[in-house]
Amino acid sequence: MSSYRVSMDIGGTFTDVVAYDEQSGTYAVGKASTTPADLTEGVLAGCEQVVGSPGDVTFTVHGTTQGLNAFLQRRGERVLLLATRGAGDVYHIARGNRTRLYDVHFRKPEPLVRRADIVEIDGRLDSAGTELEPLDEAGVRAAARRVREEGFGAVAVGFLFSYVNPEHELRAQAILRDALDGVTVSLSHQVAREWREYERTSSAVVDAYTAPIVRRYLERLETELRSRGLAVPLHVMQSSGGIVTAESARELTLQTLLSGPVGGTMGAVALARMLARPNLVCVDMGGTSFDVSLVIDGAPDVSSEAELEGFPLLMPVVDIHTIGAGGGSLAYPEAGGLRVGPESAGADPGPACYGRGGDRPTVTDANVVLGRVDEGNFAGGSMTLDAAAAHDAVGRLGDELGLGTAELAEGICDVANAKMAQAIRTLTVEKGIEPRDFALVAIGGAGPMHAVFLARELGIGEVLVPRFPGAFSAWGMLETEVRKDTSRPYFSPLAEVDLDDLVRLLDELEHEGFAGLADEGIARETGRVEHALDLRYVGQEYSLTIGLTGAGEPRAADFERALSDRFHAAHATRFGHANPGAPVEVVAVRTAALGDLGRADPAALQDGGGAEYPADVRQVTFGRSPQDTAIVRREDLSRGAVVEGPAVISEQTATTVVPPGASASVDPIGTLVVRVGEEP
Amino acid sequence: MARTAVDPITTEIVRSAFKAAADEMNATLIRSAYTPIIYEMKDCSVALLDSEHRVLGQSAGLPIFLGNLEICTRLTEDAYGRAAWRPGDVWIMNDSYLTGTHLNDMTMFGPIFHDDECVGFAACRAHWLDVGAKDPGGSMDSTEIYQEGIRVPPVKVVEGGTERRDVVDLLGRNSRFSYPAMGDLRAQIACINTGAARLAAILDRHGLGTVLAAREAIFAQTERYERAAIAGIPDGTYAAEGCLDDDGITGEPCWVRVRVEVSGDEMTVDLTGSDDMQAGPVNCGEAQAISAARVAYKLLINPDNPPDGGAFRALSVKVRAGSLLAAEDPAPCQWYFTPLGLLIDLVVRALAEVLPEQAAAASYGDSMVISMSGLDPRTGRPWLDLEPTVGGWGAWQGSDGQDGLINNVNGSLKDLPIEVFETKFPMRLTEYGFRTDTGGAGRWRGGNGIVRQYEVGCDELTLYLWFERSRTPAWGLFGGEDATPPVVVLNPGRPDERRMLKCSRVKLRRGDVIRTMTGGGGGFGPVGDRDPELVRADVRDGHVSPEAARAVYGLEVEG
Repeated sequence: MSSYRVSMDIGGTFTDVVAYDEQSGTYAVGKASTTPADLTEGVLAGCEQVVGSPGDVTFTVHGTTQGLNAFLQRRGERVLLLATRGAGDVYHIARGNRTRLYDVHFRKPEPLVRRADIVEIDGRLDSAGTELEPLDEAGVRAAARRVREEGFGAVAVGFLFSYVNPEHELRAQAILRDALDGVTVSLSHQVAREWREYERTSSAVVDAYTAPIVRRYLERLETELRSRGLAVPLHVMQSSGGIVTAESARELTLQTLLSGPVGGTMGAVALARMLARPNLVCVDMGGTSFDVSLVIDGAPDVSSEAELEGFPLLMPVVDIHTIGAGGGSLAYPEAGGLRVGPESAGADPGPACYGRGGDRPTVTDANVVLGRVDEGNFAGGSMTLDAAAAHDAVGRLGDELGLGTAELAEGICDVANAKMAQAIRTLTVEKGIEPRDFALVAIGGAGPMHAVFLARELGIGEVLVPRFPGAFSAWGMLETEVRKDTSRPYFSPLAEVDLDDLVRLLDELEHEGFAGLADEGIARETGRVEHALDLRYVGQEYSLTIGLTGAGEPRAADFERALSDRFHAAHATRFGHANPGAPVEVVAVRTAALGDLGRADPAALQDGGGAEYPADVRQVTFGRSPQDTAIVRREDLSRGAVVEGPAVISEQTATTVVPPGASASVDPIGTLVVRVGEEP
Repeated sequence: MARTAVDPITTEIVRSAFKAAADEMNATLIRSAYTPIIYEMKDCSVALLDSEHRVLGQSAGLPIFLGNLEICTRLTEDAYGRAAWRPGDVWIMNDSYLTGTHLNDMTMFGPIFHDDECVGFAACRAHWLDVGAKDPGGSMDSTEIYQEGIRVPPVKVVEGGTERRDVVDLLGRNSRFSYPAMGDLRAQIACINTGAARLAAILDRHGLGTVLAAREAIFAQTERYERAAIAGIPDGTYAAEGCLDDDGITGEPCWVRVRVEVSGDEMTVDLTGSDDMQAGPVNCGEAQAISAARVAYKLLINPDNPPDGGAFRALSVKVRAGSLLAAEDPAPCQWYFTPLGLLIDLVVRALAEVLPEQAAAASYGDSMVISMSGLDPRTGRPWLDLEPTVGGWGAWQGSDGQDGLINNVNGSLKDLPIEVFETKFPMRLTEYGFRTDTGGAGRWRGGNGIVRQYEVGCDELTLYLWFERSRTPAWGLFGGEDATPPVVVLNPGRPDERRMLKCSRVKLRRGDVIRTMTGGGGGFGPVGDRDPELVRADVRDGHVSPEAARAVYGLEVEG
């Protein structure tokens, strides 16, 4: 009897399913078209390709873009927002900042709730949480009537200082629940227990806007899978990089909103562990996107705040930076010069070679002209590329600029690579990191095509192309843990912290954490709870999250010194300087409850001695001239195989380019490890 | 030097490398700065310059700092000669009449050497919290520069890679907050070192000859692009004028007069008709007036490309020595940016008739600063708050103006959240919302200003205010109406109610109320052309009152 661990990742075009066979330690990958009208269809179709019966599934995890799509297409619920009297416009003022400096036509993001749908409610707390004025319950009841009469699908509640004292928000919820049936109520302190009313309200509004849709979808998918015999809980990926059961996800749906690409980063975290390379730059390049994330000391780079189309979201999220536009970046002339991006051909019409009417050259077209793309087997053979169209588009621009077609094609790639590398470098500088000390993980269909060039620009010596680079996000989901995050504001100078009080709070959070894990089916002995404090120098606005050794650490003799030393060191790394001796203050307590549900453990490939593999030879342009280049199928490479550049290694969902001077070898679990070398 | 031929591919790679080097300098500065004014408000600017003081790459935190770092290296070279540039040196200066801005802005720069040749400069400017003015942080009623802090001509602060202790000490002793000032000084040095390292890496990678050739091609592209944009504007002279309410001292209006001449592919911004320098701190040095004219030009001509040495070649700016836009000793300059915000708006207004698509009606204009200090009864410690305030922006063809947005000069500044404000200060913020009917009416409505109301929660509070543009509220364009100007009311509805815009050191007591109200933005196009559905939506959303809908738009709408 077989048993499988299965992950499902819904992308814009395809739904990827990865199944890990627990007996053999091998993987199977399924791919189905994403079915936007009813996503469960695509998920089930992909599932059927790799797993005979859902009854054989012992563990399953699922990344959903349902909420994100509803947000992006503005198909969310109609939301009524309750705010504190005098602060109702905070959501529309949106902190009043501009993100484009030289633009007299700048617009803030269009709010999800119109001003007429914001109701101010009397009732006020001060900054210590003391009630200055009681909640106007009649006002809340009147709002409930309006919800019913006007057919709102959800209510968001964002009262001032609810992060200190949630009483007014909880009372409002009770009144709304009494009066209304089946209407989502999102409380700002439950969505994000953090200060800053605009950011917390924005988080609650996005939650209210998307939650009903995600809930309906999860219920439906679970029902479908159950009816086909699934006997284990369905897990859902969260933006934090951890997973929870679908049941928990329905309670806090916002946490699943940005989970789509996070699987890739978590896969890189797993690679870091398996290959003992703790520091990785992870580059995910698709047809129209280019995302970068970092693994530092074996851990994902998780921040406590994200932004979505200009809306702030306060929640733990794996930092993924979207840079430029990847393969869709357009090349065009401007004032006699060449430009590549940021303008993109997008998915429609897309690059000229897609044959959908695009006639301007893109980075993908340049790769086609250079012979670096297998045009008959693009995107897993789902699409045949029009190489002639790519040649024509690049050639026309070349005529305009006085450059040959191949020369310009390579130039377009060189410019795109230089810009992508510079963007990565600036990102690492901001984090206080030297990219030279990192290895580069390349995923997505186009990531492995550009990776060696990016690595050379950054001074990185090694590129890793994992197995299934086109379905890596799904692969990564099989390598994650259960994770539940909570936080509490806690304002006090470090030197004046009431240590007993702090330990009491940590104990309480620890208890909550284990209770949360128990809800996920994780026994106390297999789970763990990690605590951290947000600290900053007195007078600073932004804080750093510094880990504690345990809930009891504040009782340790030299707690204050040990903790401030850790903070000074982290500050020096992140900001380039520290100020030992300056007073430090605590801003918040953060707790993460983590539980291991077992992971896929890839079996070693059979040692093929690295010997023979079939190779075609084709002309591919490198260094401005066509060169005889080995064209290799990845599945023909056994463990230990070595492929010297110039070579192109193609597989179902991706193409790896090994330029002259570089050499790729296959490690025991099938990773292509490319020594970058130097351009000869 | 022999010219090397360079292809468009290498040129574009070098161009983006220059830009990336500036971005990296900026990231280094912001990452290592000590004061929120730099790392939060981005009151800073960096540039990588070539050996002839031309911009290779620039990253501006504040738009107003566009293109005025090169003047500092140039003036230093004029004063001390080319031989003064030595490897490992870093210079510092803040003289308002040279750098153009207030004394808080410290400009630092260092020459970059490659194979024993000075190939360029890394430069940056950052706002220091305090440089020893008569009031903490800076004054609103200074009458000479000598009240505004230490004034530094170009001086070496790092010599041959080693900090000069004497100079560092001198600067440190002249700041009320010397600890962060020294931190910011070192952040600026780190930024300059980053710039030097990146330029060296670019030269190592491509070779000096190629980089120089690429530089010429890059400058030529930018110049060509901008000249083509100007050539599309009909030749002619376009003028606009407006006044500040006063200089903070005399109560008299201060006029800024702009004449823009377009001839072929060249543009001249003539500011010589502006008023003489003022007794109060609304003056700026010539360099900053040129920067502001460049910001306006950039908004209209080339908003998307990063500035380089080819930018602004088609622009000349005329200022008159001794005017408030080219101040001389001893004119005070603390609020140097107040006339500049107006100047930028006036250039856009002057050109609106020939660039209707690019233009917008005026915004609420100035920073609208409130500053409060006192003793916190919760801790017994002194506290100080200084906040610019958001307001309405002008409408443009196809869109209403934005409600409640920070002014042009303040870049990407965010407001202070109520929860942060009340936690930090012994105050209540009892109202923060849009100010109905303050945007100018029109086919497209100007954005509304805001109301922000504070209640004093400590025994004694000292209030400073700098609210502006009541004499020149945001104007409408193409038939759109002007906006409502700002006002601040103390203790509204009480017998001791007072209305004011600017003040220094006004004492308030527990329970007193400060109600600040910013102006709106101007309307665009005739009121009669507005879609009635938009008026109804505005009334439903409370941006326009039913009374205004009736009186201004002639529509009966229920609120």
